[in-house]
Amino acid sequence: MDQQHPMPRLLKSFAAATGLAAALVLAGCASPQKAPATADVAVSRNAVENAVSAGAAELAPAEITVARDKMMRANAALAAKDYKLARELAIQAQADAKLAQSKANSAKATAASNALNEDLRVLREEVDRMNTATPATTQQ
Amino acid sequence: MKTRSTMSLLAAAVLAAACATAPMSTPTLDQARADFVAANNNPQVSQYAPLEFKQASDALDQANAAAARRESLNDVDRLAYVAKQRIATAMEVAKGKAAEADIANASRERDQVRLEARTAEAERAKREAEAAQAQAAQAQQQAQAAQQQAAAAQQQNVALAQRAAVLEALLVELQAVKTERGYVVTIGDVLFATNQATLTPNGISTLRKLADVMAQNPNRTVLVEGFTDSTGSSSYNQELSQRRAEAVASALGSMGVPRDRIAMKAHGEAFPVAPNDTASNRQLNRRVEIVLSNENAQIPPRAAAR
Repeated sequence: MDQQHPMPRLLKSFAAATGLAAALVLAGCASPQKAPATADVAVSRNAVENAVSAGAAELAPAEITVARDKMMRANAALAAKDYKLARELAIQAQADAKLAQSKANSAKATAASNALNEDLRVLREEVDRMNTATPATTQQ
Repeated sequence: MKTRSTMSLLAAAVLAAACATAPMSTPTLDQARADFVAANNNPQVSQYAPLEFKQASDALDQANAAAARRESLNDVDRLAYVAKQRIATAMEVAKGKAAEADIANASRERDQVRLEARTAEAERAKREAEAAQAQAAQAQQQAQAAQQQAAAAQQQNVALAQRAAVLEALLVELQAVKTERGYVVTIGDVLFATNQATLTPNGISTLRKLADVMAQNPNRTVLVEGFTDSTGSSSYNQELSQRRAEAVASALGSMGVPRDRIAMKAHGEAFPVAPNDTASNRQLNRRVEIVLSNENAQIPPRAAAR
């Protein structure tokens, strides 16, 4: 019995150590996977919202649709605790949303620039016409 | 930027060479690499989107590294996709910023053109105002000139009237008779020495008055005509009338009347003004008549019979 005594103790402590290690490993694995995925999904949602408020729905519909779809799929993956997939989809959604936003911005700026240049052209024509009409009226 | 991109390309090349046996790539990664080269050659990207280009470059590096490590096609494709989207984002940002810069430039230019147009208009208005002013000044000058001309004309009229009055007075004094040939001043026999062609002082003074009239009326000429009575031979009478007429003409000439304004004609016994029956009548016939022409007019010749 005496000899038997250390056995269960050893077994006990071994089991305890194993359990602790397993718990530690589980905890260590779970938390670093979950936190960045949650953050990435949040960032991608933000990016999609920014793109929409920049007018991406009208000016970059294909890109914003893809971004929104991926963001929703990332959300679903997060809910299903598939953190790796959630991160990957969130990163892609973010890249798509940024592209949609920059496309919307450049479309707006280009349109404004074209309109202004057209204004300038008309104005120049008017000035030229005025300048060429001047000598005629003076000579009359 | 250039160095980094070269380095990325170099790294990609080295990695590709390392895996020469089985080059590891995916269509998306190829596309991302091609897009990267295009973005790298676009000067707008380095000017307007350096941060976005850096992020794109990093993403492509990651994809290239994954390919070099021969990770799963899925993983490489995923990273390449992100790189491709970031490269496109950098291009779009550059395009947008360039358009914004163009807007700023065009606005400045538009302001400049407007300013120039306004300046030109102001200058034109100024020129027009100056032209109008000059025109007004010219009109005023013309009016002044016209006024002066009118005044001068009036003065001339006054002078003409005065001269006419003076002439009239002198002619009255000279007992001139107005005829259709002009004014006729008769120098009677008493103004000559008997049978001579010498003028008496009275005759000289009469001629001097006539010379004054001539001087004041430069547009008139005179015709000096000599006459005698019927006493004596007609050749003698012709010669006497000639000498008397010459005497009058030369006297006028010596008083400053140019000779080209003095014509002369001897008529002898012709054209008597009275019958040669009495001494006093004969005296009337011995005379010199001076015809003063009308202004600017020829003296018509004497009618044949009278």
